[in-house]
Order: sequence, then C-alpha cells, then structure tokens
Amino acid sequence: MAGSGQIRQLRRRIRSVRSTQKITRAMEMIAASRILKAQRRVLAARPYAEQIRDVIAGLAVDNEVRQHPLLRAREARDVAIVVCTSDRGLAGAYNANVLKVAERTIRDEEAAGRTVHLYVVGRKGAAYFAYRGRRAERAWDGISDTPTIDGASGVAQAVMDRFSSEEFDRVWLVYTDFRSSLVQAPVRMELLPVKPAEFEGGTAMRPEVVFEPSGPGLIDLLIPRYVEAKVLHALLESAASEHASRQRAMKSATENASDVAASLSRVMNQARQDQITTEISEIVGGAEALSSAV
Amino acid sequence: MATMHVEVVSAERAVLSLEAAELYARGVEGQIGILPGHQPSLIALDVGPVKVVGADGTVELVAVHNGLLFVDAEKGCIVLADLAEPASEIDVRRARAAVAEVEQRLASDPHDEVLLQSLRKHRVRLEVAEQAGTGTPAR
Repeated sequence: MAGSGQIRQLRRRIRSVRSTQKITRAMEMIAASRILKAQRRVLAARPYAEQIRDVIAGLAVDNEVRQHPLLRAREARDVAIVVCTSDRGLAGAYNANVLKVAERTIRDEEAAGRTVHLYVVGRKGAAYFAYRGRRAERAWDGISDTPTIDGASGVAQAVMDRFSSEEFDRVWLVYTDFRSSLVQAPVRMELLPVKPAEFEGGTAMRPEVVFEPSGPGLIDLLIPRYVEAKVLHALLESAASEHASRQRAMKSATENASDVAASLSRVMNQARQDQITTEISEIVGGAEALSSAV
Repeated sequence: MATMHVEVVSAERAVLSLEAAELYARGVEGQIGILPGHQPSLIALDVGPVKVVGADGTVELVAVHNGLLFVDAEKGCIVLADLAEPASEIDVRRARAAVAEVEQRLASDPHDEVLLQSLRKHRVRLEVAEQAGTGTPAR
C-alpha cells in the first residue's frame, strides 16, 4: 500500500508544524507583555531627562554653555556612529531596518570624505558588521534587552571621551523610535555635539540661589548626564520597538503555521480517503474474482 | 509642622515622592541638611546616602550615585540622580557580595579608577541597605 507511507509522513509534518506554532505563540505572548513593560520604562525615564534639561537651561541663561567641550561644533573629519540593535533574532525586520539606516549614514559620511568609527549595541548588529568586514571599535551585548543607566552611561562615556578629546567631531545615534505598537521607525539623531538650542528658553535662576559647586562647575557635571539620558532614551525606545516587532513577527508566524497545518491536513485526509477507496475496491475485486472462479 | 515636597528621580524612574520634614545628603563640598523653607540651591551630590525624614517621622534611605539636589521655594526638593535606590530595594546579601567582588578585583589592580569608583558606589549601597535593615538611623 503506497498510501500509508505518505499518510505517516504528512502526519509527522503536521505534528512538527503544530509544535513550532506552540513556540511562536508563546514568544508572541511574551513579547506582547514585554512591550507594555518597555513602554512603561520609556515613560518612567522621561521626568529625569526633562528635569536635567530644565536645570541646564536655567543655568544656561547666566552661564556660557557654548564653550563646553560637548557642545563645540567644528568641521567634521571623524564621525562616530552608535547603532542600537537587539541581541536576539526572530524580531521580523527590526534589525534589518535599523541597520539599513546605519548603512545609509555610513555611506553618506564616507561619501563626504569623513572617517567613520563604528559603535554597536546588540549582538545582531555586531554580527552583521563583522560579516561585512567592518570592525566595530566597541560592541556591547546584554544591554539592549532591558536597558539600564549603567549600560547607557557606558556607551555614552565611550563616545563622549573621544569627542571631548577631539578624536571625533560628530556622533550619530541610530536607533528605532517606538511610535506605537504598529509603527516603529528607525531614526538617526545627532548625539554630539549637543546643540546649544536645546538649552534655550530656560528661566533664569533667581539671584539668591546657592550653587555648589559654582554655576559653570555644575554645567560641566550636568551636560554628560544629559547625554547619558539621551542614550538611555534611545536604548529604551529600541527595546520597546524590538518587543513590538517580535510580537508582530511571531503573530504572523503563528498564523502561517495554522495555514500550513490546515492545508497539510486537507492533503492528508484526501490521501486517507484514497487509501480507503483503494482498499474497498481491492476487496470487492478480490471477492468478485473468487465468486467467478467457482 | 512645616513640610516640603521631596522628589527623588533616577535616570530610569521616579523613585520617591513624599512630604518631608528633613532631608540630609552628602554634597561634593560637604554634608548638608535641608529643612522646609531652605534657601534655593543647586548642589552636586557625592556618592552617598540621602536620608529623607517624612512628615510622619518615617525615614527613607536612598543610595545615590551622580546626583544633584535642587531646592526650590515652589517645587520643593528634587534629587536628580543617575542611580537612586531606596534601601528597601537593595538586597543586603547581594550588595555585600558585590563589594567583595570589586575588592577582590581591586586587589590585583589597586589603582584602577573605574574599580575604585565602583567600590565606593557598592559600599554606599551596602551601607544604606544595612542601616535600613537593622533599623539604626543613618546618622
């Protein structure tokens, strides 16, 4: 009987598709719950960034911020690009999208005759660039999934040091902006130099305010904090986007698995019916042959 | 009794928000205490504990790293910090293990700036967690 072998094979394929479906459904649900958590972290980090900005803006009214090493704009020769990708895959086009923007930025900068230095967050991005023979000056893994200020300040510190020492003249931050669970857009933002316009519009500190250390000293302390908060924000947005992207990818994978299982079942039922038909006609044929032989 | 509004905000989230009677912190230029009606100030904080005495006498201890204390007549007291961990969220045992680990790494390289910084941070966390755990006041 040729049919039974085929049926067994189909049954095995259906089983494997269904078990894959269980995994993708679990991943979908995990990602869905983590989107919310990640979104909440984005919101929770906002007050700090706003307060820091307000305080610097207040100090900027009476103090010169333009001369701070992190605000000094100069002709760009060496450019650093920080790319935020994920550690894990199975997140749809999430990494591909952000890497596309990174590639475009690299191309633009190199076309303008500038040297590009690459900093990569996330194992996926590191692997992508390693495969293409572009060495990242530094790569971080383990911080993109649930970003902390420690992780963010490590990244920020690395580029701030080299910007202050004028090894870099511009730093791009490439990350994924979480607009909603359906829309995440890869974006690039100029992290350094910080534009003085960002600190405009502050209300002057009242004259009785005590500064410890003095105003300029405080500005020196606060501006790096501000840059760190920006990096943290980018990492948090990226993490939320990663989970949203994974949720969508896993949702469609689960749906596809249902479709495949359904069409395989149809083929299998057909094969089973064919087999039964064959068996019946064999029996009938056999019986007829016997009766006519008598 | 006069009170003031105190907010402790870390880079990751708002940690504390309460009406308080007193606040003590370690500034880069020395120890400071803030009572309601304090002169407006902006004070950079050292790595150290911030102690907030609530209006009802409860004491909150927070380990603060890279902080800034902002005292304003209208807004009250705001502590902005890279890291701010309330004592209740620090696990004493793990904090102790972290200190031991950094000390051990420091033994092989006693002048590593990053490690020294990290040691101070972990010591403060441990200090805060232990004081809160045993119920002894911060100072």
